[in-house]
Amino acid sequence: MTLHEAARLWRLIAQLIKVNVMMTLEYRAAFFIYMLNATAQPAMSLLVWLAVNDASGDALPLDRAQLVTYYVLMGIVAVVTGTWGAPYLAADIRNGDLSKDLMKPAPLIFTAVGNYVGEKIVKLGMLLPLVALLGWLFRDSLQLPGEPWRWLLFLLSLLIAASLTYLMDFVQGLLAFWIQDVSGVLALEDLLEKLLAGRFIPLAFFPPALAPLLLVLPWRYTLSFPLEVLTGTLGPAALAAGFAWQAGWCAAMWLMYRVLWRYGLRVYAAAGA
Amino acid sequence: MTAIEAVQLSKTYTYHHKAPGLRGSLESLFRRRTLERRAVDHVSFAIDQGEIVGFLGPNGAGKTTTLKMLCGLLYPSGGAAQVLGHTPHRRENAFLKRIALVMGQKNLLRRDLPVQETLLVHKELYDLSTTDFRRNLDELVDLLGVRQLLDVQVRKLSLGERMKMELLTALIHRPEVLFLDEPTIGLDLVSQQRVRDFLQRLNRELGTTILLTSHYMEDIRHLCPRALVIDQGRIRFDGPFEDALSALLAAASAAGVENAPDPHTLPEPGAPGVLEVPQ
Repeated sequence: MTLHEAARLWRLIAQLIKVNVMMTLEYRAAFFIYMLNATAQPAMSLLVWLAVNDASGDALPLDRAQLVTYYVLMGIVAVVTGTWGAPYLAADIRNGDLSKDLMKPAPLIFTAVGNYVGEKIVKLGMLLPLVALLGWLFRDSLQLPGEPWRWLLFLLSLLIAASLTYLMDFVQGLLAFWIQDVSGVLALEDLLEKLLAGRFIPLAFFPPALAPLLLVLPWRYTLSFPLEVLTGTLGPAALAAGFAWQAGWCAAMWLMYRVLWRYGLRVYAAAGA
Repeated sequence: MTAIEAVQLSKTYTYHHKAPGLRGSLESLFRRRTLERRAVDHVSFAIDQGEIVGFLGPNGAGKTTTLKMLCGLLYPSGGAAQVLGHTPHRRENAFLKRIALVMGQKNLLRRDLPVQETLLVHKELYDLSTTDFRRNLDELVDLLGVRQLLDVQVRKLSLGERMKMELLTALIHRPEVLFLDEPTIGLDLVSQQRVRDFLQRLNRELGTTILLTSHYMEDIRHLCPRALVIDQGRIRFDGPFEDALSALLAAASAAGVENAPDPHTLPEPGAPGVLEVPQ
């Protein structure tokens, strides 16, 4: 890609982000309710685990402060890494609406980012006050790290996590080139994500025998890992290994995207008139 | 100079056969029968720059499939296509920036926003300078007579207005070749006429090469000095529009369409399997 092309793509994505912010604002009430949801879910998990923690006499692998920090900030990570595009992409492939994207002189994998970023900007604007409120409610146990480098590492891991979930989602949508209905695949992935990303059960609570498996599967790197970076539960070696796995999964998904896209377009039937 | 060229272009679709009923479903679970249908069968033609050509044929004849191969949406199963010196299915940006496809039944516009916003996206998409963008926009807005519609939410436009805005959006980058698939479908007579007039002026004033399919004979008669008739995937006729009609009617009867028209009598417009015919 030439520098000129890269600049054009950047201006295009910026314009798409603007358009998507406007479109999202058309449905602001609905999005506010989604954000209530995105805050309430981790809050409920937090209350459950705090009750367990108190009942077990602080015997859990994470202490009270770590649990509170983990779940209070989870909403932000979940919204930044959230995906919803696969069913739409699959439907576009099936009914031929992908054609209008294929006619555009810019790759869909980049232009579709505009939809995500635009929507997430609006969502974050609504979410942050809610997270601040949650943090205030748990202010006695909330421990935010003071070191700027830790926040920078968190932002980096968050950015890679968002790229990883985006690619995983896109790749699942592309399966529609070959299979009639991808909803089964999506439901399976959703289940694995709920179980293995640390959403309802922090990964530290899994039996030790499963730990090596959790470290090599992609889901930890979509949600739990950025929060682990921030809450300071990882030593330098674990931190470095985590980033390596996260980036590695991202690269693997990118390759998968390239292959599926290339061969998918050969079987694309461009259905409909 | 040749703008569009198809040489022995072919497309075969594969699909799975399932016998009716539960038994058929179970059988196809274990022994799936794969069938092939040749939608486009060794089609060859050439269109010069600045030409405006109509593509005619009954439903399922292969018009749209051919159009989609020329746009780069479909990989040909055989043969070759060249559009403006590019191989369409490679879908190079340099190629996509020089063509446009307008489908009467699919839309480019975002329902929730005024067209203006989609146009600004297209400005970046096609790398238009602000001067070029303004000039193209002014030109198209005047040709289509839609200046007052630019800042209206798309979902509040009527079907005819929307189609004009689709055309405006699809043409903002001044494509050299325009593919149109049923551009007047569902429009009332007045709107059809306006779209036709617009396409004619586009061709005359900007020299845009146009290949269009339509079921409305009026479209083709009004616009296209030359017509291609395709049936069962093969080119049956290529020549002046006046001579195309009889070839077309013969094709429709040969296809064994239910209530196929007798070539000697004009059928009712809108009869099943029959193309609309001028009165």
